[in-house]
Amino acid sequence: MVPLNYYLLLSGVLFAIGIYGLISQRNGIRILMCLEILLNSANLNLVAFSSYHGNSTGQVFALFSIAIAAAEAAIGFAILIALFRVRDTIDLHNINILRW
Amino acid sequence: MSYLNYTHLAPELIVAIMGLAVVFFGLFIPTRFKRGLGCISGLALIIAILEILRNGVLWESQRVATYFYDAYTIDSLSQFFKLVFLSVSFIVVIASTRRYKESRYQDEYYGLLLFATLGMMVVASSNDLLTLFIGFELASMSTYALAGFDKTNPKSVEAAMKYYIIGSISSAILLFGFSLLYGATGTTNLEAISAYIAAHGLASTTGTAILVFLVAGFTFKMALVPFHMWAPDTYEGSPTLISALLAAGSKKMGFVAAFKVFIVALIALKLDMQNVFFILAIITMTYGNLVAISQKSIKRMLAYSSVAQAGYISMAFVIMTPLAVGAGILYVLSHAFMKTGAFIAVGAVVYMLTREKKNLPDADHLDNFAGLSKRAPLTAFAMMIFVFALAGIPPTAGFVSKFVLFSSAIHAGYITLVLVAILNSALSLYYYARLVKYMYVLPPAGETLREPRAYLLAMLVAVIVVIAIGVYPAPFLEWAMNAATTMGL
Repeated sequence: MVPLNYYLLLSGVLFAIGIYGLISQRNGIRILMCLEILLNSANLNLVAFSSYHGNSTGQVFALFSIAIAAAEAAIGFAILIALFRVRDTIDLHNINILRW
Repeated sequence: MSYLNYTHLAPELIVAIMGLAVVFFGLFIPTRFKRGLGCISGLALIIAILEILRNGVLWESQRVATYFYDAYTIDSLSQFFKLVFLSVSFIVVIASTRRYKESRYQDEYYGLLLFATLGMMVVASSNDLLTLFIGFELASMSTYALAGFDKTNPKSVEAAMKYYIIGSISSAILLFGFSLLYGATGTTNLEAISAYIAAHGLASTTGTAILVFLVAGFTFKMALVPFHMWAPDTYEGSPTLISALLAAGSKKMGFVAAFKVFIVALIALKLDMQNVFFILAIITMTYGNLVAISQKSIKRMLAYSSVAQAGYISMAFVIMTPLAVGAGILYVLSHAFMKTGAFIAVGAVVYMLTREKKNLPDADHLDNFAGLSKRAPLTAFAMMIFVFALAGIPPTAGFVSKFVLFSSAIHAGYITLVLVAILNSALSLYYYARLVKYMYVLPPAGETLREPRAYLLAMLVAVIVVIAIGVYPAPFLEWAMNAATTMGL
């Protein structure tokens, strides 16, 4: 059986990759992918802890959060489409009408 | 604790069923009758408000009922915040029946608005990280869509995009924090977490890690500096009525979630929390007020003032005596009404101006408010009451809640904090009084405007409550104190 530490390390790395992507990327789709990575790192944590504690609460939590992540991605893409219709771009560096 | 008695869930059920019904019947109703959907949504919200006032849970200082394996509780804390969320949506719905009366998408609008309210209500009642997260996400997702509701307006879509990205990052960070909390304690029930930490302790590194993720996640929603960047952009860009919902409803949901998690579950980390929030509260109120001074767009000014007000409310996390938490909760109530009212007054001005001139670029610019007392006397008067309340001038709700909050801080010995807060209140008076000067002293910028009745009704409701809390604060204060007591400080 794989010890808990490895799972936590993996989820920590995934979390860091997600945050790095959010900071460095400018394409809307890539941002959404990084958000998914962030959410999945937390799901991995929940499932690993669930197996470690031997109760199923964490797995239930992970199932709910996967469903929520799917809904969230759908809204994100809908907003991106609306953005593309009015601005002809999903490059987030050009989305800067509102500032200060 | 009875199991088959679901009467306490009536407000949630009313809102949920009405939300589904509005979306469903919207499919068949021709556009010209869709305004009726707004009216029945408003009716459902007012019935839910009356039900909460009727069943008297607000007067109890003990927990009244729990449902679903302790995941959902009914006590005066939850009912108090439900009252705030329902009233904010009710006021927004009244004004929306005018703003969107010709829109094809009214069914979706009211459906999303009701679901956002439902999500906030679920957060207020949650006693488990899972219910809290689901309610949080339900409210967030509905408001992402609402922020971009004027989808042909580039500003609105940009506001929605920014809100969506920052909001999703914050919920991902929050979920990561929840997963660590679950890992450390093996349970997701808030009271069980508190009991576990009391019995077994929590390693200080683990505690710090959890606190970092949770503080970051919640303060995004509460818009405390340095996690406030999305708030001014989103409040400025989104439709004004939705800005009211965001500033008064969605932000308060962040506060009730933080009260639940930080005070109920993580009271063992009280000292760390007090230090963190001491710094956050001071930076937030100072930064919010300083930047608000230089704003020319009224919506943006109100957004920064709302950042500053969040700083005052978060003083409750620093002091953490029952009195201070009660004062913070009372402040939440008054701020909700003042801010909704102010945004709706701005919305009325924007609506009146854009009705004459389509696509006016900056309808909420300060110059458009010049001489408003001549052009639209009732709106100007209501706006004056709201900004004076925000500044904390008696006899309004803002004065009472600031008075209780600051005196509770002095009582607990936080003199520095109170000094900073009072200086900030003085600073904020500058930009609030400037707006009143524009409205009442400067010559009119145009002809007399016809004031929309629905907006006036919405402002009237908010004015009545703001004055009522200011003149007769006793029942509201008692509800807030009951709510603070149920958290078991």
